[in-house]
Amino acid sequence: MATPAVQSFVEEKWQEAFKNLNRGEPGISGLMTISEAWRIASDFLRPRPLSEPRPRYNAHEIKAAFDMLAHTKLLYTVLENFLDDMHQQEYLIKQEVGEYMSRYEETDDPQVIAELVYRLVDWFNAWHPLAEYEFSSLPSIWRADDQNELSTSLGHIVTDHFTVAFHTHIYSILPPSFSRGFKALVSSTLPISYDDMSDSPSPDTFVWDSFFALGLVERYESLIASVCYEHIEDYIREVCAGQWSERMLADVRLWMDSRMLPWMRLPYARGAKDLNEATKMMSGVKSRFDYHICKVLCDLRTSEIFDIIIDFPDSKPALEDLKECLHRVDQRSILVASLRKANKKRLLHPGADTKDILAQYVSIIKCLRVIDPPGVLLYKVADPIRRYLRDRPDTIRCIVSDLVGDSENGTSLVDDNDPLVPLASRDVEDYTDSTWEPEPIDAGPDFRTNKPGDIISTLVSIYESKDLFVKELQVLLAQRLLNVKDGNYEKERRNIEILKVRFGEAALQVCEVMLRDMTDSRRTDQHVQSQKPSLLHPVIISRHFWPTLQTGTFILPQRLRAIQEDYSREYTAFKPDKKLVWLSHMGSVKIEVELQDRTLEVDVPPVSAAMVELFSERDRWSVDELIAQMGRIDRPSVMKGLLVLVDLGILKEEETDHYKLLEVAEEASADPGASRSAAMDELPGVQTAQQQQAEQMRVFWRFIEGMLTNLGALPLDRIQNMLKFAPGYDRNIEQLGMFMEAARREGMVVAKDGMWRLNR
Amino acid sequence: MKVTIKSWNAIAQWRWDTGKADQDDADEEDVCGICRVAYEGCCPACKMPGDDCPLIWGECSHIFHMHCLLKWIGTGQSKQLCPMDRRPWVTAERKINPSKSS
Repeated sequence: MATPAVQSFVEEKWQEAFKNLNRGEPGISGLMTISEAWRIASDFLRPRPLSEPRPRYNAHEIKAAFDMLAHTKLLYTVLENFLDDMHQQEYLIKQEVGEYMSRYEETDDPQVIAELVYRLVDWFNAWHPLAEYEFSSLPSIWRADDQNELSTSLGHIVTDHFTVAFHTHIYSILPPSFSRGFKALVSSTLPISYDDMSDSPSPDTFVWDSFFALGLVERYESLIASVCYEHIEDYIREVCAGQWSERMLADVRLWMDSRMLPWMRLPYARGAKDLNEATKMMSGVKSRFDYHICKVLCDLRTSEIFDIIIDFPDSKPALEDLKECLHRVDQRSILVASLRKANKKRLLHPGADTKDILAQYVSIIKCLRVIDPPGVLLYKVADPIRRYLRDRPDTIRCIVSDLVGDSENGTSLVDDNDPLVPLASRDVEDYTDSTWEPEPIDAGPDFRTNKPGDIISTLVSIYESKDLFVKELQVLLAQRLLNVKDGNYEKERRNIEILKVRFGEAALQVCEVMLRDMTDSRRTDQHVQSQKPSLLHPVIISRHFWPTLQTGTFILPQRLRAIQEDYSREYTAFKPDKKLVWLSHMGSVKIEVELQDRTLEVDVPPVSAAMVELFSERDRWSVDELIAQMGRIDRPSVMKGLLVLVDLGILKEEETDHYKLLEVAEEASADPGASRSAAMDELPGVQTAQQQQAEQMRVFWRFIEGMLTNLGALPLDRIQNMLKFAPGYDRNIEQLGMFMEAARREGMVVAKDGMWRLNR
Repeated sequence: MKVTIKSWNAIAQWRWDTGKADQDDADEEDVCGICRVAYEGCCPACKMPGDDCPLIWGECSHIFHMHCLLKWIGTGQSKQLCPMDRRPWVTAERKINPSKSS
């Protein structure tokens, strides 16, 4: 079969190999020694079960055996053989690992994992080819006697090969549940206590050495990092949640340095010779974890932002933390989204008081200015709030009453320390401003910087024009002025002066006239009184400069009317060209009522005073009789007037609509359960801006009615277009639509196919 | 029962006495024929109504804000005529008078 050439080739090789192995010894004795050496070496290396003790070997014998093998270049073969053996013995480890893992799964105790790790280290040491060797007895070729020989020495190659092979075996053996256990074990080595900084237990280096020996640190690096991350998160949640009154970021960093870093040196700075080197090795890791601190704190504060704002200004440190974190972590958009969501859920719903919404809005303004001075965040957050407030009917009233310092609970939206600035209408860009900064990059195209510190103008700018405010202000001022009894208008005057700065002199001209009316009235009154003393002290107003006052007059009883007429005469004598028109239903009368058993001195509205006069003529009146006596007066006003007297215990309702004078007080008549509030508490009858609007709409209804009568059915836009010719009409088509809808519900019009016609 | 009135805080509006019968609640109110602002308002040059911006009564029965009329008379083309009826303007003597208030 084989050609002679091949035969001779094989034979030659054979001879060569034989010569090599026999090393020129006589016969095959050389071969015998080699095979003996092989036996010793491979028996020495053979991986055994841990229970079986490794037999003691004569170090010289082994050394001789390895030397011999090295001479014949068989060492690699020995090594390969050894690795094969290891593979065959793998089942020994597998068995044990299985036992430990099932124990762990039962108990969930990370200590079991620790034991397993230690056990694996035992295996590792037992199988290590160089274990139990004294360094000197190593075969010279495995030993690096000095640095030069290191590269040629085989020692580290053997170790490397062994380590890699051993690790590979372990990884293939360890079940997936090991990583869970390993994580638990790692976290159990963390410094647990959060608060006490003083004694840090010396970190458990031994277990970490084992991890390194088994190569677990490299393999589970991400797992170890996640343990750190979670630990940091837990710590921050535990320590910082709800703590807004001081800055936490620095504390957390301190904790990181003093507690976490010593621990983190174990996995991340192994082998560092001194602290400096460790710090150097850690710098990358540290900044990664510092980022994580910022991110976690940022997340936490973002989730708390609404409550932080409620707590402002006590929570200012928390905001500063957040600001610093946002510098590192770009989560501004998340903050905006979260705050918008919180606002929508907790603020902008029908259950919230307009006052509260405004207060929170102001707080938001202040808070976001701390975080983000240019105001981009604010602009994005504020938009929905502003839109919502615009739809609330009493927003203006709230703002204005706050402007004039009317708030009952004393918390003013406006800080008194705020500088008074005129309401700036759209600023023109100031090109000479040397402190100008470009708009931040996340600013939208319609973003406008507003000057810091001007909350009033921010509030006023919720609405397109400030006219609405001025109107509301006028109403409010009228109410307050007419309510002043002691003639002290200083507070109102001061308010108006302050507001003038904001709204401009011209806008508040009307208020100026109102205030002057008040002082003029007093002067006139002084003059009239000096001519002819009178009980009457009227406020004389210029009607075009006051809000519409509720109309409604009634016939005063003779005595009261006489007083009025006297006064009018004196007035006309004083100012020959003028006369007075009385608004008899407004104001108040101080009367003294002498009854059989008691004397009352009370302040009542003129209606009630007139009734008292009537009751002094007759003891019993019915409501209808009273109306007949008092002339042009509506029933609710009469009832109101009567209720005042009933509350005072002067009258009593005998039966429905029939009232009787109580000459003798009746205890039972005081019925505390009846929730009849004295009408005196109400502010005088100044129409609110809303009522005025409704009043106007009644006028426009006349027009609409006429239109529909003459032209039949009309579409909405046609009505709108025609109404535009009516004087003072300023509604838009939506408002008109709403009004028509209301009219339809009242049954006054019907709508069909978008055409409106009168319901006849 | 005996009732004594101690004091009375009332509210009143002032009107110019234009000699017309009292129409308290008449919506149609008189306006100055020159500036078309109500008599109880003030002329365009003024800020305060009432004594600071009085009316002026003419013999011809027309009434204007004094400031408005004086400005008109001051212009050349007025020829000292009442702007309403083109009769020579004569300021009426106000009689302290007896138009009894209601």
